[in-house]
Parts: sequence; structure tokens; C-alpha cells
Amino acid sequence: MIILEDVEYSYDGIYTALRGVTLQVDRGESVAIMGTNGAGKTTLIKHFNGLLRPQAGNVFLEGKDTSQMSVAEMAKIVGLVFQNPDHQLFLESCKKEIAFGLKNLGFTQEEAEERCDQTLSRLGLEGFAERSPFALSGGERKRVALASVLATEPDVLALDEPTIGQDARQKESLARMLMEMNKKGRTVIVVTHDIEFVIEHFPRTIAMSDGQIVADGDTSSVLTHEEVLERCSLTLPQMTQAAKALRHRFDNVSDRLASLSDIESIATTLLEGA
Amino acid sequence: MALVKFDDFSYKYYGADSLALKKINLTIDNGEYVVITGPSGCGKTTLCRAINGLVPRFHRGYIAGHVYVDEKDTREHEVAHFAAIAGLVFQNPENQLVTLNVEKEIAFGPENLGVNPVEVRRRVEEIIDLLDLEHLRDKHPHEMSGGEQQRVAMAATLALNPQILVADEPTSNLDPKSAEKILEIISTLNKRGMTVVLVEHRLDLVAKEATRVVLMDRGRIVADGTPTEVLVADICQDIGVGIPKATEIYKRLNAKGLRLGSVPLTGEELALLIQEGTV
Amino acid sequence: MSFLEIFQYTRQDSIIHRLDPRSKLFLTLVCAIISLLFLDIIPLLIIFASLLPLLAAAKSLRRWAKSMKGLLVLLVFIMVFNTLLSTGPYPFSYSVSLTLRLVALMTSFSLFFLTVHPDELSQALIQMRVRFEFAFAMSMAMRYVPTLGHEAYAIMDAQRSRGVELDKGNFVQRVRNIIPIIVPLIIVSIRRALSIAESMESRGFGASENRTYMERLQFRRRDWSLVIVSLGVLVTVLYLRFIVGLPDLFLWNIGF
Repeated sequence: MIILEDVEYSYDGIYTALRGVTLQVDRGESVAIMGTNGAGKTTLIKHFNGLLRPQAGNVFLEGKDTSQMSVAEMAKIVGLVFQNPDHQLFLESCKKEIAFGLKNLGFTQEEAEERCDQTLSRLGLEGFAERSPFALSGGERKRVALASVLATEPDVLALDEPTIGQDARQKESLARMLMEMNKKGRTVIVVTHDIEFVIEHFPRTIAMSDGQIVADGDTSSVLTHEEVLERCSLTLPQMTQAAKALRHRFDNVSDRLASLSDIESIATTLLEGA
Repeated sequence: MALVKFDDFSYKYYGADSLALKKINLTIDNGEYVVITGPSGCGKTTLCRAINGLVPRFHRGYIAGHVYVDEKDTREHEVAHFAAIAGLVFQNPENQLVTLNVEKEIAFGPENLGVNPVEVRRRVEEIIDLLDLEHLRDKHPHEMSGGEQQRVAMAATLALNPQILVADEPTSNLDPKSAEKILEIISTLNKRGMTVVLVEHRLDLVAKEATRVVLMDRGRIVADGTPTEVLVADICQDIGVGIPKATEIYKRLNAKGLRLGSVPLTGEELALLIQEGTV
Repeated sequence: MSFLEIFQYTRQDSIIHRLDPRSKLFLTLVCAIISLLFLDIIPLLIIFASLLPLLAAAKSLRRWAKSMKGLLVLLVFIMVFNTLLSTGPYPFSYSVSLTLRLVALMTSFSLFFLTVHPDELSQALIQMRVRFEFAFAMSMAMRYVPTLGHEAYAIMDAQRSRGVELDKGNFVQRVRNIIPIIVPLIIVSIRRALSIAESMESRGFGASENRTYMERLQFRRRDWSLVIVSLGVLVTVLYLRFIVGLPDLFLWNIGF
């Protein structure tokens, strides 16, 4: 689906953001990209739809070399949702906002309207159709921005920090929606600092530091690796801490466990055994 | 009298459909570490703004009731009057750094209030030392990371010598390590006697240090008590507030009839309690 | 935008950087006035040549040269244009001296802006009795212009990701394509401005009539010497120019 080969990128030829990144994301995967600010995560996902072009190396999308493809062409395959919704909202109603992207990508007026309604109802935003995005709260604007990209039904959905400023319930519904997309065969990629969000929902994690991939694999093994956590400035989430602390006390506990249900079942076994 | 006292305070922004705060009664005493939390749009930010008079002075709207800060009614004094009592730190560090270097930024507040230059210099040095900013002294905002910027923003607020530090989601734009550092500073300040009001979603990071958690929903205070009291209550799930995972496990075990000795707020505590439970 | 860098402060430690901005402003004005007094090649070359050691003392010669290179095309353009349009007897000679004058003027001002930190500049203005609010507004503009630039790029990225093709289509189409960039930029800026104002208000901005300043600029002996020397040079040049008159040698021009 997406293949990057030895991609290098530096801004103004001075600040090197990517130094030889190679990765492959297959159709239908859901992947989290984690790392410190300035590790190159955002630079990386901007290569997925051609906003940035590799200064060395290649980017392949669905088996095709992308060097001759325009951003608009790539955007049909890869939908990018940025961190700040205010960077894209500019029309007087949410409906127009969503239709805008669709029309840019070549949908007719009727198609655009139909998809628009579908997307709004899928995200539970029906009431927002005629409202101005500027009158909405930050969290709501974020959902409208997401809807405007979702409506184009890209094969790959890549989101930059989707959980920032979202409360627990909004995060849950975001996760549910992403997993639903994923079940339908779409590829989902998120860039995030939210380690618990990743542990609970994403089977694969790519950890980045200083423009390089330092670990790529099962979330449960990447995010329990102390050196990786250290290099990516990540802190141990509570359940992993609990697992480690339990391991000190009980021999039969693996300190690789990380999710809520894992700890719940271990605790149940231990307590019921006593 | 309490340092901060909300007395039946209600507030609606001009042009808004509904009240941002509804009949808030809340007192905050010296030395407390109060975490305010609740779902998006519950009124946390408005509450913070009411503590130094930004609401209703800067953000105009309809008011009922009163807020007293250091025994002074916020309706009757300028925001500047409260600047040296309640210091606010906001979510986005970039928007709080208005000068071109760190020293100037820290000096900005006290200079505005007309503090004697020798004293301003003394405070700048003291705070640079306290928050470990020596290496940033001459840096331009663009030369700093988000975490560093937020530390400077906090320094700039502390330079006013406030009695109470009000921080509105100061870590939400930061990576986990930088966030941890900011929260560490806040907790250290509290231990040195500073009263702290902190708005935070991620209770797993702050519940351990807080002395009190105030839960808000749709403009009202719906729970107020010690962290363990509030976080274990079912209302958290009802309004959609994420509680620490360790506390969540406690509740799940409880539902199965497995009781732990007390309510854990961290993974370590949870492990300890499980061990005690098996003995 | 590298040509603008000749007016952009660079952090350095040099004798020129350490001078009080007010004395540097005086020096710059004297240099500018002298450049405006002459329209002949030789005197302008002398002025230009005497500015170079000052730039060297400010350790900024290389940076100045680099951005001047960026301006070269513009200067050549001005020169050609002037030669073609000038009606005087020696059009080329005339436009060479005009260009030289422009370079000398720019260099004078660049000497000032390269070595004065925007904070120092606003402090200097305040001490020259400009209202604090105005001086501060200027330094805040400097502070937030790069932020605005970053924001504009982020917005372009977001809109291109939605299929907006900024560099396609005819003129009308291109102008229309600016709307999805400009509208969010305005809205984001307004939101930012509000949030900045909130933070400043919370820190007592504009609260006291008696605002203090942690550091005040001090006119030292070296500043006075610079002012006196500059004044001396100015008076001498005025005397030579208007009372004595320049010798013929100085009035030489290229013969076409």
C-alpha cells in the first residue's frame, strides 16, 4: 500500500528531519507513529500524499512510484487530517466545508451532497450541516475537519495528533470510528503522543527519534522496550507500570502486558487464587 | 477567609446560547492543589478565567453572583489588580511568549505593574534558577521546544509573585516527557506553599499529587472531594471523564466482588494493593 | 527572501553590537544624509568604501555580502532601466551613481538593523519618548511575523491535502484558490490575537502608568564619542560640499 525506501528529507537543506526512513504499511493495517516533537513524524506523513517529496529515496503508493503524481492525485488515495482544524475550515457551513474537498477531487454536485449527508450522520454530526464551523467548539471543529476528509473515502486515512484537546468520551468515539473504518479494509495511520490510546487500539507501532525509525512492530513489544521509550520521550503508562510492579512480586506475571483487560484478568486470577 | 470564593456565580458569554457557568459555589484555601476536570465544554476554562477577573472584565458577558479573590470582588477591580494574586498559565505556550527573549519575558509582568527594576532583576534571576532556565536565558521563542516555551510561560507568570497558580491544560500540546516536567514543577511549587488550580484531562498524571478534585459538567460542579473519593464515583463514567486505569481496575474488581484495601491512583499502588489482597 | 536579511538582526558580539542603538541610529542617519548629498561616482564610492570597515567591525560583512548578492539582479535592473529612461547628458554614468547611492543608503540602514536587537530598538524608542504601547506593538510584530508565516504554510498543506491545486488554472482560478488560504489565516490570527491579549492582560499589560524597565539603555562614553565623530564628519562634509566645493577630480563621470 505505502512503501517508503530510504527516504531523506531536510528543511532548507539545514535541518534534517528524515534520515533514511524505510517502511511498509499494508492495506488494512492500523498503525501508530510515536516519537518526540521534532522526531520527524509529521514530516513523514506529509510524504504519504506528496506534500513533501523525498530528497533521496522513493515513495510508492499502491505499487506506483509517486514522483510523477500530484498532491491532488495522491490525496484521493491518502486522506491527511491535520492537528489544527482551523487550518482548513473556511466556508460558511459544515456541509459546504465537506462538499468542498469532494468537489476538488472530482465528485459531482449530487455525489458530493449524498456523501456529505452520509458522513455527517456517520459521525453523529447531523445537526451541524447548516451551522457555521466557526461557531463550534474546538472539539467539534476537529470532528468536522475529520468528516471533510472522511467523506472522500480515502483508502488510507492518516491523522496527526487526533486526540489532542479531546476528552475521554470523544477519544472513545474517535477510536470506535477509526476501528470501524479499519474493519472495512481501510488503512489507518495516526501520529500521536497518547500512549494509552495506542495500546488500546493499535496493533502496530512505529517509534521514531531524530529522523529515524528506532522500532517498528507489535505495539506490545515496541512500547514495553525501555530504550525505545527513553529515546522517544515516552512515559510508561499506568498499566505497564502495574505490570512491572506486579512482576516484582509475582513470578508468573509477564511485564510485557499492557492493556486494561490484561491487568484485569491477571488481578482477578491472583486475587481469586488467594 | 478563603483565598478564592465563588458565591453562586453564573456566567454567560455575550452571543452564547447557554450559560458557561451555572451557580458555582466553590472555595479554595491556601496551600490546596485542586484539579479541575470534566468533559470538553464543561466550563473549566471559564472557571479559570473567573479567578483573575478575565471573566467578566476581558470576556464580556452576563453575570450573577460574585467571585472573591483574596477577599476582593472580581467585579470591582481590574484584571491587573489580580495579576499579583492569581497567575494564569494557558494551554498554548506560543501565545504567551510576547517578547523576543526569556529574560524580557519573565520581566514583562512585574515591569507592567511598576515594580522597581532592581527587584525585577532579582525575581528574574530567582525564577531562572528555580525553573532551571539558565540555558534558555537569551533564546528567542522559536528556538525553544514546546515544553521549554511552556516552562518560560510559567516562569513569566510566577514573576508576578502570585499566591495562586491557575494552569489551564498547560500540558495538552506537549509530549509526555515535557508534560511530566511541567507537572513536576507545579507539584513542587505546591509543596513550597503555592496554591494550585490545575485543569487537566489526564487524571492518571495528576491525581496522585492533588489534594482535591473538582468535577464539572455543563457549567456545574458535579463532584468535589479528595481524588480517591471523586474518581471512584460512577459519575465520572456517566459524564465521560477518563479516570486513571488503576482506579478503573479497582472498580472492575469491585464489581466482581474482589475488594482491594483502598483506591489506587497509580500502577504502583495497584500492584501493592493486589499483593496485599493475596496475602 | 534572503535579500531582506540585510535588515535582519543577527546575534553577534562585536563593538558595533554593543553600542547604544541611539548612537547607532545617529551614525546611520549621518551616513544616509551624506549619501544623499552627492550624485557623483567618486564621492559615493568613497562613502561606500568607508561603510565597509564598519560592517567588518560588526562582524557582519559576510552576511551583508551574501544578501547583497541576492539583490544584484534588482540593482542591475534598476541600472539598465534608469539608463534607458534617463534624459540627462550621461545616462549610464548617472544611473551608476544612482545605484551607488541606493547601495550606500541600504548599507547605512543595514548597519543599524543588523546590529540592533528588536527589543533594544523598542527600548530605544521608549527612551526617546515614544509611547510604550507603540514601541511594544512593533516588537510584537517582529515576534509574530514568523509565526504567521509558519501558519500560512500549514494552511496551504491542509488545503492541498483536500485537493486544492494552488498553482493550476488561469488567473481567475488562481485568485480564487487564495480564498481557502486567506480565510483560515485571518481566523487563526484573530483567535491567536485574542489568546495573546488574554495572556498579556493577565500579566498586567497597560495596568500602571508608571511602568518600569528592568534594563534601561545607557549612553556611555563610546556612544558620545561616536556621536561627536559622526557630527564632525557631517559638518566637514557639508563644508566641503557647499562652502569649498568639490575639486574637479571628484566630479568625474563615465563619458556616456
